[in-house]
Amino acid sequence: MKNLSYEEQSIITRGIIKAAVLMSEYGAESILIEQTAQRLGRALGAASVELSLIPSAIVLTTLYGEQSVTTTRRVHHKPINMSIVCEIQNIVLKMEKNDHDINYLYDILKNLETKYYNRWLVVFMVGLACASFAFLQGGDYFAVATTFVAAFVAMFVRQELAKRRFVMIITFGITAFVATIIAAMAKIFAITSTPNIALAASVLLLAPGFAFVNSFLDSFKGYMMMGWGRWMDGMILTLASTVGIILAIAILGLGA
Amino acid sequence: MELLIQLCVQAVFAAIASLGFGMVFNVPKHTLKYCAFGGAITYNFRTIFLGLDFGIELATFLASAIIGVVALYWSRKYKVPRPVYTVASIIPVLPGTYAFNAMVTLISINRFGAKPELVELFIHDGLKSISILFAITFGLVLPSLYFLRLNRPVI
Repeated sequence: MKNLSYEEQSIITRGIIKAAVLMSEYGAESILIEQTAQRLGRALGAASVELSLIPSAIVLTTLYGEQSVTTTRRVHHKPINMSIVCEIQNIVLKMEKNDHDINYLYDILKNLETKYYNRWLVVFMVGLACASFAFLQGGDYFAVATTFVAAFVAMFVRQELAKRRFVMIITFGITAFVATIIAAMAKIFAITSTPNIALAASVLLLAPGFAFVNSFLDSFKGYMMMGWGRWMDGMILTLASTVGIILAIAILGLGA
Repeated sequence: MELLIQLCVQAVFAAIASLGFGMVFNVPKHTLKYCAFGGAITYNFRTIFLGLDFGIELATFLASAIIGVVALYWSRKYKVPRPVYTVASIIPVLPGTYAFNAMVTLISINRFGAKPELVELFIHDGLKSISILFAITFGLVLPSLYFLRLNRPVI
């Protein structure tokens, strides 16, 4: 093991927590964040890394001999992005294998570029995905077609709102409102015999799947605070979409 | 034969659904085909278990446990965290219609008063959607808990 001065250890600690914060922001599981930080620490020469996770912050300590460096970072939750999580995972594996130094980590984290899918491709595919869901649930062809249009427009609205950096709650509420208004046309003009399936499937693109699945994965592995935080996150997003749906139903006077 | 055709058709549509949601979560490009495949596996296994008369909760639980194990294998092979595969794969079995009906009934109860038939409908749909959601999450968690005991990273 190489000799670490206090300054070097501080730099290493900052690099590790930067990676941990990125993972937490983009929706990685807690155990993955902890393991990533510990493996990075070992690869960079720290004796051990301890961290405490709460939904809004990370506290991380690296230990080496007599020295210990502790630092805290705030975590701002962002829309789920699995590419970044995978990227950081790959960096860890590379650093373990090839014995890179801290500058390599900084370089990569600074130039971390996410490849997004083509915007229109995503909009189209989400429309198809929701339409497929409507089909699987047993909707007739008109219900499937309505769902496609509703989900297509809703995803477009969601991307526009996300581009303007609105809070997720507002984004979800407005998107659910738009999707329901369009899907409800199938019910108003009575072109389908299964209008409720169209209504349900067109807001499926707002299902906070990652929040709930991660919440359970975290709670089962002993990260209770993170589990509760993510659970609440998912509940609030669901509630926001529900408000949007209720508003749309009330305006159109469907009375369910 | 009829079942086989039904399974194929459902597999295609489930794959499309998972593919779309994989894109929403912005999973890396090389994992997309596994997300689609996973969605097809999950939905098909659920159909098979439903055919064996297991009840929708148990069928969903077993199907998501299977995708959990398959994702474990894929994540080892391609060095990708598991939720990338699993969350997109379980999208087709989400209880979307049940949850939506429960919500709509709740609105009706609020507006027209708690009539017995409305309350009955709400409890039925709500209970179904919640139990299916729990079945999915328990099924996904199970395989990773098995490896937690060994106390070493999965990938």
